[in-house]
Order: sequence, then structure tokens, then C-alpha cells
Amino acid sequence: MTRREGNEDPDSRSDPNADRDPGSAADAGSDTDHDHDGDRGDRSPVRSGRLARAVAGLRRLPGVVRIRAGAVARITRWEVTRGVGSVDRRTAVLGVVALLLASSVAFVAAASGGVALDTGVYRVGVPQDSPYREPIDETPSLVARPPSGELGEEIDVRVTADGFAAADARKGQAALSALRNAVRRHNDRVMGTEDNRTAAFPVLVRLRYADRADPTLPSRGTNGSDGGFAAAGGGADGAGGAGGAGSDGPLPVPNVGGGGAGFFGQEATGSPANIRPPFPFASLVLAFLFLVPMNFVIQAYGSTILNERVNRRGQLLLVAPIQPGDIVAGKTLPYLAAMIAVTAAIALAVGGGVVAVAAVVPLSLLFLASTFVGAMFARSFKELTFVTVAVSTFLTTYAFVPAVFTDVTPIALISPLTLVVRDLKDVPIEPLQYAFSTGPVYLCAGVLFLLGAGVYREEDMFTQRPVPLKFLDALDARLSGRWSVAFVSALSIPFVFVAEALALATLFALPIGVSLPAMLVLIAAIEELAKSLHVYAGYANARFGTGIRTALVLGSLSGLGFFVGEKATAVAQLVGLQNVEPLGRATFATAGIGVVEAAGLLIAPLALHAVTAGLSALGARKGSRWYLTGLVAAVAVHTAYNAAVVVALG
Amino acid sequence: MGKRAVLARRELRVLSAEKTILLALAIQLFIAAFSSFLVVGLVSVYNPGTEAAVLEPVGVTGNASDDLLETLDERPGLRAREFATEEAAMEEFAEGRVRAVLVSEHRDDRIFVTALAPESELRTTLTVVQVREALRAYERDQRGERLAFLDARPLDLPPQVESSPYYGFTYTVLVPLLLFLPVFISGSIAVDSLTEEIERGTLELIRVAPVSMSEIVDGKLLAAAGLAPAQAAIWLGLLSLNGTRVARPVLLLATVAALALAITGMGAGVALLSPDRRSAQFLYSLGVLLLFGGATLLPGDPANTVALLAVDSATTGTYLAVGAYVAAAVGVYVGVRRLVDRIDPEELEV
Repeated sequence: MTRREGNEDPDSRSDPNADRDPGSAADAGSDTDHDHDGDRGDRSPVRSGRLARAVAGLRRLPGVVRIRAGAVARITRWEVTRGVGSVDRRTAVLGVVALLLASSVAFVAAASGGVALDTGVYRVGVPQDSPYREPIDETPSLVARPPSGELGEEIDVRVTADGFAAADARKGQAALSALRNAVRRHNDRVMGTEDNRTAAFPVLVRLRYADRADPTLPSRGTNGSDGGFAAAGGGADGAGGAGGAGSDGPLPVPNVGGGGAGFFGQEATGSPANIRPPFPFASLVLAFLFLVPMNFVIQAYGSTILNERVNRRGQLLLVAPIQPGDIVAGKTLPYLAAMIAVTAAIALAVGGGVVAVAAVVPLSLLFLASTFVGAMFARSFKELTFVTVAVSTFLTTYAFVPAVFTDVTPIALISPLTLVVRDLKDVPIEPLQYAFSTGPVYLCAGVLFLLGAGVYREEDMFTQRPVPLKFLDALDARLSGRWSVAFVSALSIPFVFVAEALALATLFALPIGVSLPAMLVLIAAIEELAKSLHVYAGYANARFGTGIRTALVLGSLSGLGFFVGEKATAVAQLVGLQNVEPLGRATFATAGIGVVEAAGLLIAPLALHAVTAGLSALGARKGSRWYLTGLVAAVAVHTAYNAAVVVALG
Repeated sequence: MGKRAVLARRELRVLSAEKTILLALAIQLFIAAFSSFLVVGLVSVYNPGTEAAVLEPVGVTGNASDDLLETLDERPGLRAREFATEEAAMEEFAEGRVRAVLVSEHRDDRIFVTALAPESELRTTLTVVQVREALRAYERDQRGERLAFLDARPLDLPPQVESSPYYGFTYTVLVPLLLFLPVFISGSIAVDSLTEEIERGTLELIRVAPVSMSEIVDGKLLAAAGLAPAQAAIWLGLLSLNGTRVARPVLLLATVAALALAITGMGAGVALLSPDRRSAQFLYSLGVLLLFGGATLLPGDPANTVALLAVDSATTGTYLAVGAYVAAAVGVYVGVRRLVDRIDPEELEV
């Protein structure tokens, strides 16, 4: 539903075909070749005509919406029936066979007890009657061998009556370390069976987290000094018994939504072995589960889009009286619905709430949008496969890396997956956080659909060109005059924001001497690319004159559009991202955000963006090699500016 | 064989023309880097050995702090600072001059420790892990003093050694990942290659040439399955350049080749039985996911076999498993051959 509404408004303004009468769109397929030239010729002089047309369009709106909604619904129905139709009896049988195979494998595996990835990696020479035999047999990664074996060849560690000998290699050290952990675990387990609890677990620990700015005395907890430990005695007893499956196991069974989870993990009590570091491992694994089905859905979705482009099959739809945007919406809706249904099912299964589903929806949209663009560009199914894999790899990274830091820093919030992790831990999420997390993702998805729908026309769909050129064509399709350069620059903001946030999330853990310079260069490179790529696309398609003045005007406009769009990233301030010292401040201060004291700094970014975009535009007018040169120059100037701002701010 | 080689070369030419193989290599490198980043990142916040000396001390107070300090002083990577009162320790905690505060008290023959760690800091995880390790050592010491009251005596621990936490990960996760990704991609190529020819109707064109259907399928399998061991060889070479010793490269490559033939054969079979690309890819990836996911639960599973070969801990069972993969590959290939003979190419329409 959101998708359809999102499609109405931007389309009718920017799509060259959209502001025609729906009835006359029948000829859209045949005359689109002339659209470029025609639009450029008659648009700019007739400014006042635009207004009249907009008013007329507004009056027709309810009827148009009804007609278009009908078209979208028809395409959706068609897509669904065709999808079901392609699943013939043979495919269904194959699917059932695959499921049977899988369940039989799972059954055999369950019967045999399962095997870990590191089974038998380290070989320990140990006598049959040694007390160390037991911990070794209990640990999958260790395998017992006769102690006579040659150290370094047949065994990695030898256990004798008077000690341990490890092979003189990294493997020997690793084996010894694994053995140490195994013995420690074994001891805890044995202690768990002792009757004398005081002697077996002489130390009880209660772990608390406190805000440094406002700490409370450890001994005066919420429960009073004794109450906290009253339960702890029981905790320690449980600890011994459950030691085997507990803290040090290879992969602890996810234990999610355990009661009393604070924002920063549980307050652990019990034996020291029971302390869990505040890392949301289980929730992360479950959050990852939400991403898995998307890879299947986008494969099918990519196929159906590319199918339209094979053997000019989509031609029939194109010449029908339907807007391209409606075709895209109609073909996308069933897949979006499928994703939401699967997400809801997973949320139900793992205990996620409405928030988890709402956080995954924008990710689903972004997966679909990138796949749509990829399928519009790909030349063959093979290429589509690689594009799809690239898309899901990148998006998974984007969703996953920041979520790792869920408990640590507000940077984590740039990924909607963080919302899922928090939701699984029963941490409430504020509307502002939701908006911040998902806003850029929604916007990116929208812009990508816009980009792809722009080339959903005959001359682009049925031609074979390398993906980068197709991409330039798609950018060019969004341009229609000088001012549109500014518009496209502004459209790039969500991508710039996502890219910079991802860079921030990846770099912030590194030492500041490395991360700050890297960040400054990265910011410059990302922003310059965003400001100049569409300008280059316009030049590559001979849309603009090659004069120096034109280039400078285009550059200034691009810089202006970017500057205006960039102000929207001020939302970052609301969740405190610029407080991530000093990287976050460097990222956003260079954009003039969070800097109020110096009025000059508000104008400076505008001047900078105009100048650097002008540099790259000057290069772009003379072909790809000069464009690269101009871009490098622009990045260099931008980096220098960034460095100056950061130094000036101290 | 000649015709098959020609057909295989045609496949590879298309792949290199689209530069998809470069994209494939880039994706694999990215996935490997990504998983390494995750592990390195996680380990560096987990591993008590890292960047120990530069960190602030841990504040210790309470009436049992003498024992605790004794144990803490023996711990590498953890400095302790004693405070007379809780209030004094908390002041330093608020100023950020101590990482954590441990209040340790004797009560009823036991020692009660309250550990206070800072909220929402990147280092908190590291601090908590270090405190846990220290307190476990403390627990061992205290147990040692109460041995008379215990029925069983805890085993002495092997000495603590400096061991890279990445060692196990490299062999049990990274190497299998790098060796299997090319296999999955090859299978996908086989599916795409066949469904595409069927959808575009170009299969008819090839069939006008004097080649049989089985030669066409063979050529596609040869190209797709041949790519996997070649890529695997590149990864093994890069790993050894990086100083990671990988044992038994020949057997590893043989395993990859066998799995690649089996998986591409499976892909080709799926594509022939269900020529619509949507359902073919879906069935293929579902099948691969289930097969490999399920196999990790079985003894002799591919990931574990590769890990054991690479880390040089192979047993007779490992070699038997490799033999079983080769047998499975041959079995799948024979199956595909029979399927191709049975299928009427004229009926291959979507």
C-alpha cells in the first residue's frame, strides 16, 4: 500500500510520460524515442503552462488515482497467477522432494547428536586412564590419541603425569588453549555435583552496569544489599549444574527475551563463570534470520523483472494504456507482500513484536528496489545472479555491521536491524529512533525505484549495454534541464547518508589516528561522487553543451541541490550521532551540522559544494578520463576543507 | 570431447565478456573480509589479551579485597587499585580513572563480589570479560583453600599460552567459506546458463549445429564446474601468501572439484526439470542451503572435512568422506546424463 502511494506523487512530476492523460499513454511505447528532445525543447520556456497543467492535474486526481489503482491491482493479480502457474506439477514435486531430503538429513543428524564445525581439529595424546581423558572426550574440537604419537605430526598436545607438552607451532598453542578451556569447563561441571556448595562455589558475583555520569554505589542496589544476593545463591547452584551447556559452549543455544532484560543486558549473578559479557549474540543471530528469506524472494523478483526484458516480452505491457510506474508497482506488490508475510511469521516464531516487523519492512523494500534496478540493468540471468548476490551481500553488511554495536553506541541505530535486536530484547523504541533508523532506507528504496522506473521504457529495456552504462542512462533519464541537476543531487542524499554512516560504523572502532584521516577522505569521495555522477551521465549522453560556463553553472546547481538536501541530515543530531567523539563530529560538522557558533560556517559548505562540483563538472564535459581527473581534484579540495574544519573546531 | 571443450569455451567467453567473473571474485573477497571483520571485531572486544597495558586499572574495595588483589596482581593485562571506601572508588569511576569497581566482602564463609561496569562503552565488553576471567581465577584460588571440604579434586589447568584467537576461525570457518562459495556460484551459473538458453530459445540454435543435447549440457557443466577449483586455488594461494599454512591442497582441490560437479549437476538437473528461471533458482538455492546446512550436522560433513584437511588433522574417516564426495559427484553426473537422454529438447519450453 505504501509503495503504491509513494509512486503516485513523485512520478507524476518527474516522469516524462506521467503528466499525460492516462488515455493517451497508449502511444508511450512508440514515441518515447523523441521524448528527450521534445521535453527539453518545450519545457523550459513554458513555465506558466506548468502551473495550469498542475492545477488541471490536481482536479483530475481522484479519477486518476482510481484508474491507476485498478491498473496496479490488475498487474498484481496477473503476476500472482503467473507465478503460481509457473509452479507446475513437476516443480511442486521437486520442492516436496527437496523438503523430504532436508527433513531426512535433519532426522539422521538429530539421531546422531549433531557435529560441530571444529570437530576433531586438535589431537591430544593422552593415556587411557588419565583424568584428562574425560574433558577431552566431552569437547568436540578435541580428539584423544595414544600418547606415543609424534608431537607436531600425529598429535598437537601431549598430556603426561607431570605436565603438558605442546607442539612448537601455532597449532600446538591453539590446541593447548582449547584444552585449558575444556578442563576449566569440566572442573565447573564436577563442582556442580558437590554437596558442599560453599566450598565448591566460594565466590559469588553480582554484575551491575552504571552510567559513569551518575553511578549509584554498588552495594546499594535496587534490591537492597542483601536482596540482590539472596537469589544469587540459587544462581550459583544452577550454574554448576548447567555448566556444560553454559557460558563456554561452542555456540550457546539462543535464549531470547529472558525476563528482566535491561537495556544493557541482564544483571548477572552467580559463580564468576556465569557472567555474560554484554553482547547481544543471540538476538543478532535471530535478527539475521529475518534477512535470510529475502535472498530467496529477490531471486524470484529479479527473474520476473528480467523476464519482461527477454525476447521483448514486456513490449505488450508497455503499449497497453498503463503507466510504467504502475506496472512496476503491480509487479512488486506480491513480492513485498510475501516478504512481509514471512517476516511476520518469523517475528511470531522468535518472539519479535510489531516493531521488529516495521523495522524489517524498509529493508525488504530496499532489497526489492536494488534488485529491481539490478534486473533493469543486467544483460543475462547470469549477470543478474551476480548482481543479486552483490546486492544482498552489501545490504546484509549494511544491516548487520552496525547492529553488532547495538549496546555500545548510537551509531548502531543507522541499521534497522538494531531496532529488531532491541525489540527482541524487549527494549522500547522511540518513534524518533524508528524514523532515524528507517528513514534513509525508505528514501533510498524510493529513489532506486524512481531510477529503475525511469528506464522502464522500450529503448532501455530491450537494449544490451554493460551495467555501468545502463546506470548512467538511468541517471540521465532523471535529468530534463539544468535545474534537474540540483534535484538529482538532492536525491542522492539518502545514499550519501547511508554510505557515510556505514563508514562511520566500520571505522569508529579503529584507533583515531587511522580512522579520522580515512573518514575525512571517505566523506569527500562519497559526496563528490554523489554530486558529479549524474552531471557526467548528462554529458555522456550529450545532454549539455560543452562550454566552460555551462559546466560551472551545472556544478553550482549540483552543489546547491546537495547543500539543501544535506540540511536534512540534521536529523542525525536528534539521536546524538554527532556526539560520537570525535569521528561523528567530524562527519557531521563538515556539513555544517551541529555548528551554530560560527555563522560563516553555514555559508562555507555551500561555497565548497559549488566549487568542487564545478571542478568535477569541468572534467566531466571532456570525457571519462578528464572526469576522473576532475573528480580526484574535487575530492582533494573537499578533503582539505574537511581537515581544516575539523582542526578549526579543535 | 572436442565439441564439449568448444561449448565450454563459449560459456567462459560469455562470462568474461560480461565481466561477471570479476564481480564474483569481488563478492567472495568481500564476504571473506566481512566475516573476518566480524570475527576480528568481536574477538578484539572479547579477547582479554588485547591492548591490556594501556587501560585504566580496576578499582577494588571491601573487607575481602586483600585476597582478591593478590589474585588480580597475577593476572596479565589487568591492573588493580585498592580503595579504602566504596565512595572513594566511585569517585574515580565517575571520573573515568578506573574501568570497573569490584566490592568484595566476606560473609558466611563465602565471598560476595559486586562488580560495577560502565554502561554503553565500547570497552565494556572487554572489561567484563577480563573481570570474569580474573574472578574465575579467584574462584579457583579460593576453591584450592577449601579442598578439604570437597569430594572431588578439580583438575589442574594446562598453562595459559599466548594463542591467536583467529587460528580456529581461519581453518574451521574461513577456509571452508572460501572453498565453498565458488561451488555455490558455479551451481548458480549452471542453472542460469541452461534456463537462459531455454527462455531465449537459443538452445534451438545450438542444436542446429551438429552437437547432441548431452554434449551441450556437458559443455556447460565443464565450464561451470571447472571454475570452482580454479577460484579455490586462487584463495589457497592468497592464504599461503598471507602466512596461513594450508595442508593437503591437492586433496582440498579434489574435494572442491567433486562438490562442484555434484552441485552443478544438481543445478543442471533442476534447470532441465523446471526450466522457468524463477522456480529453478529457487529450488536450486533451497536445495543447496538444505543440503549444506543439513550436512553440517552429519559426521563427515564437507565443512568439517575441509577444515580437518586444511589444518592437517585428517583421519581415515576424512579420506573416506572425500571418496564419498567423488562417488556422489559421479552419481549425480550419471543421473544428469540419463535425465538428458530422456528429455525431449523440443518440449523444453517455459
